[in-house]
Amino acid sequence: MTLATIEFKGLTKDYGKNIAVKNLSAEVFPGRVTGFLGPNGAGKSTALRCLLGLVTPTSGNSTINSSKYHDLVDPYLHVGAVLDSRGFHPGLTARQNLKVMAAASGVDKKRIEEVIEMVDLKDAIDKRTKKYSLGMKQRLSLATALLGNPEVMVLDEPANGLDPIGIVWLRQFLKSLAKEGKTILVSSHQLTEMQNTVDDVLIIHKGELVASGNVDAVCAGRSLEQTFLDLTSKAV
Amino acid sequence: MNKLFVAELKKVIYLRSTWVFLVSSAAFGALNTSATAFFLGSEENFGMPGVDTVQGVESVYANAVSSYLFALIIGILIMTSEYKHGTAVATFLVSPKRHRVLLAKIAVGATAGFTVQLISYLVGVFAGFITLSFQENVATPSTSSLLNTLFACLISGFVLGIVGVGLGALIKVQVAAITGAVLWTLLVESLIILFFNDIGKYLPGGAITGVLQIEVGGPPSLDLEFNFLSPGASTLLLLGYAILFSGIAALTTLKKDIE
Repeated sequence: MTLATIEFKGLTKDYGKNIAVKNLSAEVFPGRVTGFLGPNGAGKSTALRCLLGLVTPTSGNSTINSSKYHDLVDPYLHVGAVLDSRGFHPGLTARQNLKVMAAASGVDKKRIEEVIEMVDLKDAIDKRTKKYSLGMKQRLSLATALLGNPEVMVLDEPANGLDPIGIVWLRQFLKSLAKEGKTILVSSHQLTEMQNTVDDVLIIHKGELVASGNVDAVCAGRSLEQTFLDLTSKAV
Repeated sequence: MNKLFVAELKKVIYLRSTWVFLVSSAAFGALNTSATAFFLGSEENFGMPGVDTVQGVESVYANAVSSYLFALIIGILIMTSEYKHGTAVATFLVSPKRHRVLLAKIAVGATAGFTVQLISYLVGVFAGFITLSFQENVATPSTSSLLNTLFACLISGFVLGIVGVGLGALIKVQVAAITGAVLWTLLVESLIILFFNDIGKYLPGGAITGVLQIEVGGPPSLDLEFNFLSPGASTLLLLGYAILFSGIAALTTLKKDIE
């Protein structure tokens, strides 16, 4: 049996009366693309931020390779994350932004050229990122996440801002990473697109997990969108 | 820790605004020493010590310290840029042990402030010297006064770079933090030092003047009297501000959720 790489154990995060994530328990396995799905405001981003140590949970915990993110040695070399496309200084070029990240994490500068080629941004590497389109920023976010050649990727809405060609590219890209044995956890509210991308799903609604498992088993012949609507109409 | 220091330093060096502020601070220092030399060398200097007195010439060179505002602003930028551009997420993902990031930022703030003030001193003293060279009967400043001014520049840059980081951590909105710092330094603090000298000597600007060890006064007609702490006490007070604002940065950064 394969051991889960990412585990949420009774994770709860509230902001006073507003419960963003409620008792979330789930597992994510290596070599698979796992979709973390739900509408906007369902609690996906909050759960991912708890996983990555940016937000302190009210109770419960989440681990990557059995450790809290905070306790990982050189976390950047184990976990690549894309949380939003604003993570770059607009006054710096893509190369400069990546150099800063490489310096902070101790990654060899040669890796910058490799990841930029992987995300197809070679021609724009010396452009200031304020001139980037949203799609280009998403690609650069992916490059940043790949810099440490991590075995785990945590991506929050990476398809936002991508054109149809970009979405197809992203789908193939994520699948190829999973084939290399990497663990991919990708959140999205675009259910139709995710149906073609993911192997497993975690479906969250109003902070609560309403379904999880292999996408075919969860959907049972229905579309992911229909499955989601059926599940959330039952959920309180 | 070294890796984070290098990364934070790269952020500062790569930014055009850093270089704009560096040039501006040097220009500000040069303008202040030149304008003071010109004013004190003129016949209409309201009876203040002229450039033919040691006190007058030393006050010309002492104005090279006036660019410390730019050290403060660069410190503010080091912290607030993270929140303005959303890079705090990436920064804390690389190093989830936030105290290390903060220490690196404080170290870079101190380094940047120190550098800004060193350059401002060199350019300011040079500009003052050039302006004075066009005037007659110019007195010679003591070496110790030039060294005091150099020390005041370096310690003020070092401390205010750190204070800027702390201020940026406290007031995360960049425009508000910079506007507040400019208004405080150029207006509020100056007025307090001018009208409430007993309080003003304990403020950063008052402590910097204390380090300078020069006699400060206004036109005799205004009958102003200023007292500042001794250079040693002023230096300790400035270092106290650096510790205080490092503490503020820690309180406002280490535990808070990054949304």
